[in-house]
Amino acid sequence: MPMAATFRVLVVDDQLTMREVTRLALQEIGIRHVLDAENGRVALQAATTQRLDLIISDFNMPELDGLGLLRAVRGHPAVRKLPFILVTGRGDAELVTKAAQAGVNNYIVKPFSAGTLRGKIEAVVGKMS
Amino acid sequence: MSSFEELKVTFFDETSELLVQLETGLNEMQSGTENEDTVHAIFRAVHSIKGGAGVFGFSELIAFAHVLETVMEAVRRGSLAVAPDVIDVLLRANDTLADLVGCARDGTIVEDGFGADCRAALERLIGVEENGAAAGAAEPDDIPGLDFTPVRFDDLDGLGEEPRRYALALRPKPEMIRKGLDPLFFFDTLRTMGEFDLVADLDALPPLSEVRSDGAYLGWSGELRTTSPRADIEAVLEPIAADCGLRITDLTPDTVGDEVAALPDEALSVATEPVISAPAVEALAAAAPPLAPAVNAAIAKEPPRAGGGAKDVKTTAATIRVELEKIDRVVNMVGELVIAQAMLGQVIESLPEETDGRIADILADLVRHTRGLKDSVMAIRAQPVSSVFQRMPRLVRELSAKTAKKVQIEMSGENTEVDKTIIERLSDPLTHIIRNSIDHGIEAPAERLARGKSETGTVHLLADQRGGRIIIEISDDGAGINCERVLKKARDRGLVDPNANLTDDEICNLIFLPGFSTAETVSDISGRGVGMDVVRRNIQDLGGRTSIRSEPGRGMTIQLMLPLTLAVMDGMVVEVDRQTYVLPIPNIVECLRPETNEIHNLLGTAGTLRLRGDIVPLVHLGALLGVTGSQPPADASASDAVSGVRGSDHAGGVVVIAEASDGTRLGLLVDELCGHQQVVIKSIEENCGAVEGIAGATILGDGHVAFILDIETLSELVAAPAMAAAGRRVA
Repeated sequence: MPMAATFRVLVVDDQLTMREVTRLALQEIGIRHVLDAENGRVALQAATTQRLDLIISDFNMPELDGLGLLRAVRGHPAVRKLPFILVTGRGDAELVTKAAQAGVNNYIVKPFSAGTLRGKIEAVVGKMS
Repeated sequence: MSSFEELKVTFFDETSELLVQLETGLNEMQSGTENEDTVHAIFRAVHSIKGGAGVFGFSELIAFAHVLETVMEAVRRGSLAVAPDVIDVLLRANDTLADLVGCARDGTIVEDGFGADCRAALERLIGVEENGAAAGAAEPDDIPGLDFTPVRFDDLDGLGEEPRRYALALRPKPEMIRKGLDPLFFFDTLRTMGEFDLVADLDALPPLSEVRSDGAYLGWSGELRTTSPRADIEAVLEPIAADCGLRITDLTPDTVGDEVAALPDEALSVATEPVISAPAVEALAAAAPPLAPAVNAAIAKEPPRAGGGAKDVKTTAATIRVELEKIDRVVNMVGELVIAQAMLGQVIESLPEETDGRIADILADLVRHTRGLKDSVMAIRAQPVSSVFQRMPRLVRELSAKTAKKVQIEMSGENTEVDKTIIERLSDPLTHIIRNSIDHGIEAPAERLARGKSETGTVHLLADQRGGRIIIEISDDGAGINCERVLKKARDRGLVDPNANLTDDEICNLIFLPGFSTAETVSDISGRGVGMDVVRRNIQDLGGRTSIRSEPGRGMTIQLMLPLTLAVMDGMVVEVDRQTYVLPIPNIVECLRPETNEIHNLLGTAGTLRLRGDIVPLVHLGALLGVTGSQPPADASASDAVSGVRGSDHAGGVVVIAEASDGTRLGLLVDELCGHQQVVIKSIEENCGAVEGIAGATILGDGHVAFILDIETLSELVAAPAMAAAGRRVA
């Protein structure tokens, strides 16, 4: 059972607003270790150099998008089992299908509430304590 | 939740940047200079605005952004061709989106049907589909109709085969270092194959003084957990195998499956210490100096590009977002520091001669550093004017459509950097001047052809830094100013004395007078009750000046001259009749003490100075400002100063040659030069209104207040007392 207090999450989005919104939501859940990255490339570098428990990544980003990041993570021996939640827009069914094929653990439609986020995370890593 | 409110601020900051990106992209598309990234960038901008708006529930904004996003998606996929009419709709949508963002920011309630026609135009582009189903209150958390089961974290364990553990021991020989082979590069490569714990053996490292740059002192040992076969590891290390002691041992007990399976999970979720992290590698690299650049290179080239071509991988600039208010606080502190430093300077100067000279040295350092600090802070606030200029092409397009005139816009010098405060307040004046140019200046196509001009008129925007000032010029190749009509109008409205004999230049300047508007009919473009006087006021508020040049039939140019910064400047402190003034250093050409025979008294002037072949009019500053002896009546002061109060006692005084930005030179007679220092500009306009010849006030080192002179208006006072008088009468 993962402990929220020691849970480390990497939030990836090119928009500061969305990164902060997600950080706030995570804080509400009790997760305080939140790192962020503004695109997939930076995220991959961050993910391969430190311990993480979860990546929450937007899809639309310059340089390396969310799907590209997911594929890179799944293809990287060091992080290929890292839980990955993709943030999508409503109506992006096609994207979620692609992500599922690439090995995404879950997806979340933005905008989302802290409660929804908690549910999405717990569906992947188990109940938080 | 107050942090939510802060987030809103972040959102609007970010959104205004996105709107600029959006517009820049659309302009590129219109001018045909776009590349394949442009459309993606536009799409991302719209998408991000929509996403952010969703967080805060700005429903009108979300709904509109959604339609625009759908259109951009079609463009991105190539299912919608980018024809000029499509771009027109997109540009209009961009404006509507910006308006909606503005409404959301100000909390204005959006009128029903606002932007509906634009939205309809967008929908027509893609064929009306889903009727704006984006905004709604109670939406399910998931995408309807999508069959997706979340994947449990541990379910991923099924992926791939189990890793094996290898012990690695590596000790480079000196040859390896000499060949320029970098062990860290190979460790990085190994780390991409699995999890790699590494420990450096520093035992052989001698004291720093004995370290040779080509010595090999370090060894490493570690454990690699990887699913790659042993052959892969050997292949990676092959290039260095001959030049180092290398040992690879397979630690995996082939028979015991359970124990092995537990390993990777433990490493993933339980390990509290990162395995070997980048900082640790860098620390090691620091111990072996020649290796460092190679490490960075290895890190830099590590990330693989997902979508093919690795071109234009921009390394993201290291920037941080800071509230303007915080920078302003620093600017103010620097201002106070400048004053404190000036005071300190005065105290030190008054110390007895024999006091330790080191104090003076330290003060000199302090002065230098303060100046450096000021420049750095100003550089933080500086932004290229392109952020304002970029908004203008749209304006020109709109106006050109409304007036049925053909107009193009050209820009130059848009990378000139200007203080952010100035940039922000430049938009309105520029907009107004351009409206004016297109509405009144540029002729209809037929008329242009009849005059032998090209059918399309041109508005040119120019920015440049000259001396300590920023020059912004807006010129057009239209009809220019019709002097007769302007003069007639001005006389009709009683703005000028019916008998005044004005030069063309003076007439042109009349359009800046309050209450002047030449448009015979009030058009909805420039006749919005905002006159050019407001433009001039706006620019004056920024400590700048406006001037106008017109060539009838060939066009006109409005020049805005703005200070580089609004806070601190270099000044020359001078004394006139026991009053202290500050002259802006950028205006000063030279200071000299003329011989009597260099001064020529001409009738009706205060004398002229022959300076290396040039004739420079002399002006007694005290008389010009009306502080000499008994005060002459305000109206007469300017002409009196020119016509020779204290006509003969120039000799022995100091002449400061100052140059206005239009090149006019003035010889200002002062009693004494007191020194050069940085001064903090404090506005006096709030309390005293605009005073001709005075740019502001400052506090000197001794605590006294001194006026900062404005050479521009001073030269006007001298050159055209009649004009000044006319202006005063109006004001």
